[in-house]
Amino acid sequence: MSIGILSLGAVLIALLAVAIRRGQDFAPVVRRFTEQFAMLVPRMLCALVAAGFIAELIPKEAIARLLGHDAGLIAVPVAAAAGLIVPAGPVIAFAIAAVFARSGASTAALVTFVTSWSIFAAHRVLIYEIPLLGASFLRLRILSVLAVPLLAGILTYAVSLLSPYGAAVPIH
Amino acid sequence: MGRFEFLKSPEWRREVTEVAFGRSFWGFLAAAVAFGVLCWAVRGEAVVREALGHDLGLLVSLLPRVLIALSIAALIWVLLPRDRISGLVGKESGLKGLAVATLAGTVTPGGPSSAYALLSVLGLSGADRGAMVAYITSWATLGLQRILVWDVPFMGPEFASLRFAISLPLPIIAGMIARRLPLTLRLKGAGEESGKAEAGA
Repeated sequence: MSIGILSLGAVLIALLAVAIRRGQDFAPVVRRFTEQFAMLVPRMLCALVAAGFIAELIPKEAIARLLGHDAGLIAVPVAAAAGLIVPAGPVIAFAIAAVFARSGASTAALVTFVTSWSIFAAHRVLIYEIPLLGASFLRLRILSVLAVPLLAGILTYAVSLLSPYGAAVPIH
Repeated sequence: MGRFEFLKSPEWRREVTEVAFGRSFWGFLAAAVAFGVLCWAVRGEAVVREALGHDLGLLVSLLPRVLIALSIAALIWVLLPRDRISGLVGKESGLKGLAVATLAGTVTPGGPSSAYALLSVLGLSGADRGAMVAYITSWATLGLQRILVWDVPFMGPEFASLRFAISLPLPIIAGMIARRLPLTLRLKGAGEESGKAEAGA
């Protein structure tokens, strides 16, 4: 986790050095920063709290039962749908993925779930995408990536017929 | 120091307040309260309290990242030669543009705050819709930082590498679909003078 903040900090310092060397006027930087901050942070607080509650309401164990090897390709759309309804960051999403893996979900189902969550995560859409890019981009993006989790799941299923490589070893 | 005068302008202050606490903010707040009540009714008080505690911890770790990410995006906004972006990932960039966008998404560090702030800069600098979709899809599915920090420890390195390999072509496919969809795209901030007016000075 601290890799993230360290690498971000390094990028920031590098950019600041470039800006100072170029004699950059900082007024537009401050302005852009303030405007984007106002757009993001108040809504972020609310969305974060809402997402935390929704994560508690999801029936994880019931879903896990539908994702096993017996389900075959059927597990793929189920896992894609499950990924859609996890409105939370990686801590919760991967904790749920590990629950699925421990209850015997197939690799194809797990890849589909992680892909679907990473692409559609509702909290990200609400907190960042709509405020920063607008609804018309959201519509375009959703329609463009609709098939991506299913494609990932089907490809993984095909691989799993050939080789057991890629089986998850979930955290305890 | 006349350049920072916009900070005192009542008009600009009103605009910023409107953006921060406009109607959609109250919608978000209402949703948070509604789900809280639902959670309390279904799962009980202890779970609500636990969720709120978890949110607080998340917030403490998230806020510094958001501050750094927005600073980076604001600096890139003024430093970036925008004409070069449209050459690299613009409408005429073809498959190469999608590949460049995919690579950029893979190596973008940080969470959604930095990725989406950067995506907005790219879009307003002339990146085409296919490249935008490829970039954010790649960041979401192939982002190396997420794979190293989350996939590997939670699901094991074999799973992580398989998922990465399977996902490699997907952002490019998504970008190609985005270029063909007959939708109009109107980006937020396009046509506005957000921080741009003084940038040329």
